[in-house]
Amino acid sequence: MASKHRTPSAREQLLEPGYGVDRRTLLGGGLALGLPLLFPRSLRAAQGDAAPRPLKVGLVGCGGRGTGAAWQAMHAEAGSVVLWAMGDVFADRLESSRSYLEGALLEEGNSARMDVPEERRFTGFESFRAVIDSGVDIVLLTAIPAFRPAHITYAVEKGCHVFCEKPMAVDVPGLRRVEAAAARAKEKGLSLVSGYCWRYNERHRELFQRVHSGAIGDLQAVYTNYYAGPLGTRPRQEGWSDTEWILRNWHHFRWLSGDHLVEQAIHSVDKQSWAFADRAPLRAIAVGGCQTRKGSEKGDTFDHFAVVYEYEGGARAFCNARQWPNSYGENNDFLYGSKGRATIENWAPYHAIETYGGDTWVYEGEGNDMYQQELDELVASIRAGKPVNDGEWMCRSNLLGILGREAAYTGRAITWEEILNSERKLGPPGMDDGVLEFGAFAHSFDEPVPGEYKLL
Amino acid sequence: MGEPLSLLLALVAALPGGGAEPFQQVVPGARAKLEMMPIPAGTVRDAGGEEHAVGGYWMATTEITWDLFDAFVLGQDGPDLPPGVDAVARPSKPYITADRGFGREGYPALSIGLPAAQAFCDWLSAHTGRTWRLPSALEWQHAAVAGDEGPWHGSGAPSADVPRAYDGRSVVGLDAVAWFRDVAERRTHPVASLAPNRFGLHDMLGNVAEWATSADGKGRLFGGSYQDRAEDVTARSEKRPTAVWNASDPNLPKSRWWLADAPFAGFRVLCETAPAADAPLPANPSPEQP
Repeated sequence: MASKHRTPSAREQLLEPGYGVDRRTLLGGGLALGLPLLFPRSLRAAQGDAAPRPLKVGLVGCGGRGTGAAWQAMHAEAGSVVLWAMGDVFADRLESSRSYLEGALLEEGNSARMDVPEERRFTGFESFRAVIDSGVDIVLLTAIPAFRPAHITYAVEKGCHVFCEKPMAVDVPGLRRVEAAAARAKEKGLSLVSGYCWRYNERHRELFQRVHSGAIGDLQAVYTNYYAGPLGTRPRQEGWSDTEWILRNWHHFRWLSGDHLVEQAIHSVDKQSWAFADRAPLRAIAVGGCQTRKGSEKGDTFDHFAVVYEYEGGARAFCNARQWPNSYGENNDFLYGSKGRATIENWAPYHAIETYGGDTWVYEGEGNDMYQQELDELVASIRAGKPVNDGEWMCRSNLLGILGREAAYTGRAITWEEILNSERKLGPPGMDDGVLEFGAFAHSFDEPVPGEYKLL
Repeated sequence: MGEPLSLLLALVAALPGGGAEPFQQVVPGARAKLEMMPIPAGTVRDAGGEEHAVGGYWMATTEITWDLFDAFVLGQDGPDLPPGVDAVARPSKPYITADRGFGREGYPALSIGLPAAQAFCDWLSAHTGRTWRLPSALEWQHAAVAGDEGPWHGSGAPSADVPRAYDGRSVVGLDAVAWFRDVAERRTHPVASLAPNRFGLHDMLGNVAEWATSADGKGRLFGGSYQDRAEDVTARSEKRPTAVWNASDPNLPKSRWWLADAPFAGFRVLCETAPAADAPLPANPSPEQP
């Protein structure tokens, strides 16, 4: 099922992302989903009279990840997925994304895959509505996480298929709205693919399939880590309002990013949830704080978390995450069962299962491009008329992250029931419809103090 | 590296053109220093078999470690920078865990894109007033072959018990000087934990493959890495960059600083400029200073 890599041409080497053009991973994805092998047929059709109707794509959030997702969407089929509209709060972000994509498409001779004239470039907080209303089939939701509930709600209401980056929400009320939108998408026959990319990684899929088939027996413990360095900041520039400065440094503000357990290490938490077949834990206990960031631009997030999730039957999961300078780095996952253990070195990459009886399995295939796979499967599901919907498990993983974060903020053991009932909204009132005002903005650099912070 | 180093210093002094002295370079904001060895003049054959004269430069005895590279990336050289340092672009802070869990202190920096390696050299040049850069392929190969014969590695102990050189056909001897697939256990190892070559350079083969400049501007990685089999861990082993090295970067434009899928990509630096004859070594600034 592994995709076949081919040697890139000299021109493709010149243009980095161009290498992805025909590196088809779709067949693998189709098989994994049990979808019909429609791709070769549609490829032929694209060259003949019965070309499939082009799918129009809108991009909401033109940062690096959004630009990447747009590229992958435009390469999910050979030339019948067209980028149609783009939106971002900031004109410069939109412009750099647009000019990059246009240049890269021109280099590989695929300029026709992008049709975003000036009248379909939208800026400001309400740009997401304009993108969605421009007549797109698919919308890529890659804006700052706190805006996602408003964006996905509107996208589904207007009948768009959705690619939705992680995290989907930064608080529980927001997550309930995402959950409702996902359920509505299912009713409407719309596809919804999440940005939990490891679930689209061929290596991980093979390993988890084996784990779920009993290769390591009953799952007893999962240890995941995300020992990363500090994230960058954008120094405040003259003329920036508080709003603009905060938005351009959104990673460092918990009401925008959800804090790094929810924004970054959520990938680790998601794999933990995958290992436990997306069963909910009973409760979580955590420690966390901010030790290394100081100064006037530090934001209000923690720089470390360590969470213990307790599951039915005594199983536990441990997630350690931190963003410290000059420190050891690692981003791996370890699963321990009654019969053996599984090791995932995400970036080595190395995927292995060892039983206590001495048997070893190591993934030997070529793997795939998981980001391309996400969009390949989204488009394939639309073409096949068999909608995919990641809604339930993606919201659960997101909630696990929020649970761990709130356990660290409060210093309490928080049960699953409690977190399900949380009513705390992190952002200002305007976040409900995704629209803020530019201007002075009251902000604090005080992180939550355990023992004082309340779970609301 | 006390004893082997003194042995090597004697050896290097005896080599033709070895009159130049080793020197140490303080790296601003870093706890560790660069140890630089003079590379005597010599000839090296290019891929077409043509001989070229090279030499007259200094090479770092080790691959650049995180200790040194972090000082650059994290801006630990402080707020009051000498003229010119401000103009050097610095890598973004990596979203990926670039070190892959292999280790930090004393471990070679990896996942490094060519522009990041070059920027490190520019940064060091701006700070020190000396000329630092990446070696060319021929300069790198000359330093790796170290006066030995053949496209392989001369070990640091020409007449000792350690087998003298990797013969390109078996792993005999290679494990004394290089971390490669059969012995590395899927990860890099602290620099200079194996014997140096006859020029006093450690890990020219294996551990991380090392950037050298190339005419097309894209650079090449030389010497093989901890991931490669013995036959691909020689002074001639060359990797051409491809888009696959950064396929997993989810962002566009992809990072030019960090290579999400090239954990084998590292570098060492070359210095063109002799240290002033009696210049005292500058004091190492305290890394605790902001």
